[in-house]
Amino acid sequence: MKLPQGRLVRQRVVADPGTPLANALDAELTGYARLESQDALLLDAEGVGVLTFERGVPVVAYHTGTDAAGSAALADIAVAGPYRLELYELDAEVLEDVHAAEELRVPPDGPADRLAGDPTLAERTRKAAPDWRAADAAEDAGAVVAFLEDEAKIERIRERAREEAEQRAAEWDL
Amino acid sequence: MVETFAVASGKGGTGKTTTTLALGMALAEEYDVTVIDADTGMANVLFHAGLADVETTLHEVLAGEAPVEEAAYDRFGMRVVPCGTSLAGFRDSDATRLREVVADLAADTDVILLDAPAALGSRQGVLPVVLADRVVVVLQPTIPSLSDGLKAQEYAHTYETGVAGLLFNRVTDDANIDAVSERAERYFEGETLATVPEREVVRAARRAGEPLLAHAPDSEPAAAYREAAAALEVRERDSGAVADRFRNAVVPEQP
Repeated sequence: MKLPQGRLVRQRVVADPGTPLANALDAELTGYARLESQDALLLDAEGVGVLTFERGVPVVAYHTGTDAAGSAALADIAVAGPYRLELYELDAEVLEDVHAAEELRVPPDGPADRLAGDPTLAERTRKAAPDWRAADAAEDAGAVVAFLEDEAKIERIRERAREEAEQRAAEWDL
Repeated sequence: MVETFAVASGKGGTGKTTTTLALGMALAEEYDVTVIDADTGMANVLFHAGLADVETTLHEVLAGEAPVEEAAYDRFGMRVVPCGTSLAGFRDSDATRLREVVADLAADTDVILLDAPAALGSRQGVLPVVLADRVVVVLQPTIPSLSDGLKAQEYAHTYETGVAGLLFNRVTDDANIDAVSERAERYFEGETLATVPEREVVRAARRAGEPLLAHAPDSEPAAAYREAAAALEVRERDSGAVADRFRNAVVPEQP
């Protein structure tokens, strides 16, 4: 997925993928978010998650490290927080070609629902989605299934949780 | 005879309190059930159980201002111990005393359900998982919820608490739940107790200040919760030993 460099409108480190989604929706951003994991442990590969928006509603997702697209890319982006987030503005015409690629598309509410786990934000995003996105909305829960198929990723999450729990048990003398 | 379950999720918004009270009401058809709002920082049970106006809550008990009997209310066939919401109440309360409260209540009940805080990063958050025999992990079919549920399970293991099963909650019709739960079961210890559909009636019950099984007993989500309760095999335990366990539990200090 090739995108021209946009105008940087926001740059910060966020813990929750819901934050950039809400920012983009509120600002009715047309452009893209670049999400770079700050967590070396969970970083699948050198790579960044890219999510494009049209008037604040997510359209396509891509992960440059794993080459995953659409809902599968959401799975790769989802567990890799905290992120360095950059939001860029782009002209809608520039995004037309990318947005035409159906294999890259995600359901409008997919990122809010599956990635951020925020039903309220998902509902707001659904309401903001234009009619032409109806077909994308029907897509299944591919990202969650893709996530659960990735045994190595899940094992890393469990290992890290175990280490954290054991460390706290030691600190608290459990 | 008593078994204590912590209803945990590792993440907020999964419908833990709705689940706790629904499981409690369903189990109450067979057992003496006590529900304790162990989410001392963000109390919710009182709003769900029509107890928003009561004067004495777990906060007063934890602060040593009232005996536990005064904060235990017979509602909907269960004994319900709500937590208060006032900031003053929270400041005065002492979460480390929760284990004594649980021990006292364990003496004459069959099943204790602890509505656990969402976050595991604090002493209050971890304590219900430490005190419980087993956890019921409440999940939504989303990546953050599943990640956090896995985290809750690892915490439970570390504190030698078992996993009673998974409950998929707030499941939308497009969530491909069969594929998700089948794969999730590979990683979780317990099996899927039930899949509870996302329905407006759940919010309506909360607005009415009634547990779902009282507000809409014939609804789809209510049926799913009853199914979950039926799948939970409550284990017989010696209540004296359980009470001792709570009293002896080493309680983590505030980090």
